[in-house]
Amino acid sequence: MADVLFTNVRILDGTGETNPYTGSVLVRENRIRQVGRSTAPIAPGGATVIDAAGATLMPGMCEAHTHFSWNDAATLAAIQTMPLEEHVLWCAKVAKKYLQAGFTSCVGAACAKPRLDVVIRNAINAGQIPGPRYMAASQEITVLGALGDETLPHLPFPEFSFGVNISGADEMRKAVRLFLKYGVDSIKLNLSGDNFTPQSPAETTWMLDEEVAAAMREVKIRGKRGVAHARSSESVKQALRHGIELIYHASFVDEEALDMLEAKKDEVFVAPGIAILYAMLYEAEPWGITHAMACDMGYQIEWDAACVSLAKMHKRGIRVLPGGDYGFAFTPHCQNARDLEFFVKYLGFTPMEAIRCTTLYGGQVMKRPHDLGLVKEGYLADLMLVDGDPLANLSILRDPKRILAVMKDGVFAKAPEIAARRQWERAA
Amino acid sequence: MADVLFTNVRIFDGGGEAPFTGDVLVQGNRIARVVKTGFGARSQPVAGARTIDGAGAFLMPGMVEAHTHFSWNDQPSLDAIQRMPPEEHILWCAQVAERYLDMGWTSCVGAACAKPRLDVVIRNAINDGTIIGPRYLAASQEITVPGGLGDTTQPHLPQSEFAFGAVVSGAEEMRRCVRTFAKWGVDSLKINLSGESITGMPSEMSQFTSEEVRVCVEEAKAWGKRVAAHARSTWSIKECVKQGIEVIYHASFTDEEALDMLEAHKTEHFIAPGLAWLINTCHNASEWGLTPEVTRKMGYHRELEAAIESMKAMRRRGIRILPGGDYGFAWTPHGTNAKDLEYFVKYVGMSNMEALLSATAWGGPMMRMGKVLGYIREGYLADILLVDGDPLSDITVLQDKSRILAVMKDGEFHRAPEMHAAARSLPMTRWAA
Repeated sequence: MADVLFTNVRILDGTGETNPYTGSVLVRENRIRQVGRSTAPIAPGGATVIDAAGATLMPGMCEAHTHFSWNDAATLAAIQTMPLEEHVLWCAKVAKKYLQAGFTSCVGAACAKPRLDVVIRNAINAGQIPGPRYMAASQEITVLGALGDETLPHLPFPEFSFGVNISGADEMRKAVRLFLKYGVDSIKLNLSGDNFTPQSPAETTWMLDEEVAAAMREVKIRGKRGVAHARSSESVKQALRHGIELIYHASFVDEEALDMLEAKKDEVFVAPGIAILYAMLYEAEPWGITHAMACDMGYQIEWDAACVSLAKMHKRGIRVLPGGDYGFAFTPHCQNARDLEFFVKYLGFTPMEAIRCTTLYGGQVMKRPHDLGLVKEGYLADLMLVDGDPLANLSILRDPKRILAVMKDGVFAKAPEIAARRQWERAA
Repeated sequence: MADVLFTNVRIFDGGGEAPFTGDVLVQGNRIARVVKTGFGARSQPVAGARTIDGAGAFLMPGMVEAHTHFSWNDQPSLDAIQRMPPEEHILWCAQVAERYLDMGWTSCVGAACAKPRLDVVIRNAINDGTIIGPRYLAASQEITVPGGLGDTTQPHLPQSEFAFGAVVSGAEEMRRCVRTFAKWGVDSLKINLSGESITGMPSEMSQFTSEEVRVCVEEAKAWGKRVAAHARSTWSIKECVKQGIEVIYHASFTDEEALDMLEAHKTEHFIAPGLAWLINTCHNASEWGLTPEVTRKMGYHRELEAAIESMKAMRRRGIRILPGGDYGFAWTPHGTNAKDLEYFVKYVGMSNMEALLSATAWGGPMMRMGKVLGYIREGYLADILLVDGDPLSDITVLQDKSRILAVMKDGEFHRAPEMHAAARSLPMTRWAA
């Protein structure tokens, strides 16, 4: 691993407080060793010098709601029918794509077969496959008939189900213990329904408190994290009552729920995954879901509610993070940075605040608030070099051509092109 | 995919003649032109093609491994292979597939996998570009009988998931088994006709009935699949010829009758002895408890001698002997497969030329691509190696990754040759934008 000095970069440090400035950044091994604030570069001292010609250097992004195993299909059943072997290779391929797209950290938010996330995390950490820093999730745990129960009356076998179906505290405990045995970092509970599954719409809340309590007891004993699919107001409150740290969606929140969220704002994260709501309304027609059908399914109501709820959360200082439910046909993988644009356009974020959600808050949601997510001396060298100014145009963050380089843990996952390499020379 | 012109290379074309200096033009995924050039002649550049001055490097067809087990995971026992969960196992296979290509094996013939679909999935993933690997023919698991090689179930753990192979008994179970693998999409069925001393059933024993073998071959042919056999015993080798089993692995113990039969049908069979397994189990496995005394007791030293004699006799009779076999155990790790060529020279008496041909000229028909693979000739697929050194004078250079300067598969560089310019002066400043 050669040390690297980035010179002539516009540093966007990820704190959300400092305006970008021109300087240089020295990476030694896997850490940021020095950040220079002057146009005169730091002395390289043997490091490879990368003259970025004014490109933006910012922290690698964090995706807070990742499903590597969603295979860009249009239904849960189509995800589930992919055989195990193919599914693992798919996940490996997607993990690499996320990293090269600039996501140096991802928080797994559920996988489609019991061990997919754990195996991919382990393979990344062992250096067997390239991928972001990753927190492995369980499958979705749900109750009979709710979101994730894809069994059919004549096919009641658990293998047919997208999630793990439980009923009662004992079954919950057993399911959670099994996933903890496999080595997950988090347990995913489907507390509310979802408009994607008409039999259990978004505003319904399904789990018993005693079921959630049983799950969270096991999670806490082993020092892991509980995360929840919670679209309804009731499910958000349930999640907060039981100490669930990461709340996905939170589309419908009443004043009580907002107060509860605000009271715990230093502990909880909200990752709404609003892209899927938008896509269902406006972009799912090629897969047979017209705007009118999406409205019938309740997506317009949810979209309107979510925009209001999330804007209120943002005003109250609750941490709202990007990411969510990419991996469907209408929200393909690696368009994830689009969330930042939605945050600005619909939720009242400034571009600087939107970026902070994927940098500063990213380090926090990855449980590394002291050394991940910023361009700062001593922090891990997870960096990306962007052609252009993301503050002026957030959409460049989802354009592979504008992501000039991605570095994770001091190593280039996507190396900057060298001028000389463009001309093939003579060999051997 | 840019076209490539290799100039100033010593071309070994796979035809058995001495290499000559010349140029090779690759257009698309095919070899478009092979020309001899005189000493000091200057090649004309070709419009649109990248020119690579080989500086006298040895250019040869990509090698074909005739007996590949991607899913063997460099462990010391069948049990240790079988205990790897399927998710980890498929990632392992993907990693190993790339390693084979790294080492110059542009084609591999699967000879059995450790879980039902591993080989099929890897082949498909290579073909659709999900992962990187050689051209691949996917095999089934090993089909065996209760108590035979590959039945690793235990009295108290009788579940089929514990078995390394697919365990059948009787013609109809065999038929169902073959059909199941055909459904998954294998290219070949692997049947364990003989024992294997390390598993307790001696190599000279043969466990299947002729009727079971017949049904296996009949079903495989009905589905257009090839049959390959683990056949160490004399009976099993003869059974392969009698029943038309095309690929014969090991073939250690032969008698005159078996040799005569093989010779009479030599255009219909391929032999891949997998000598590496015998040699290294006898001499290089002490670290795993298999000292020479232990393996002598098992019978491996006697088998090695018999196998060497058998291979010598087959070579004299012009029977096709191919490299590859049983790499993927702790003492025969993946990637060291080119040792087989050295063993052919050292133990079987092949010339370096014969050893090289066994990995190239015979590889084409072994891949069932005899008309397009295995030669550096116009119209053939561009599976090409660039080697630093001369394998015809030192066959071991092919074992050294750093001596294999470039690997091209299907017209694309998997490993591109290093650029002189880059090696000379690493630029201190790189322009990113």
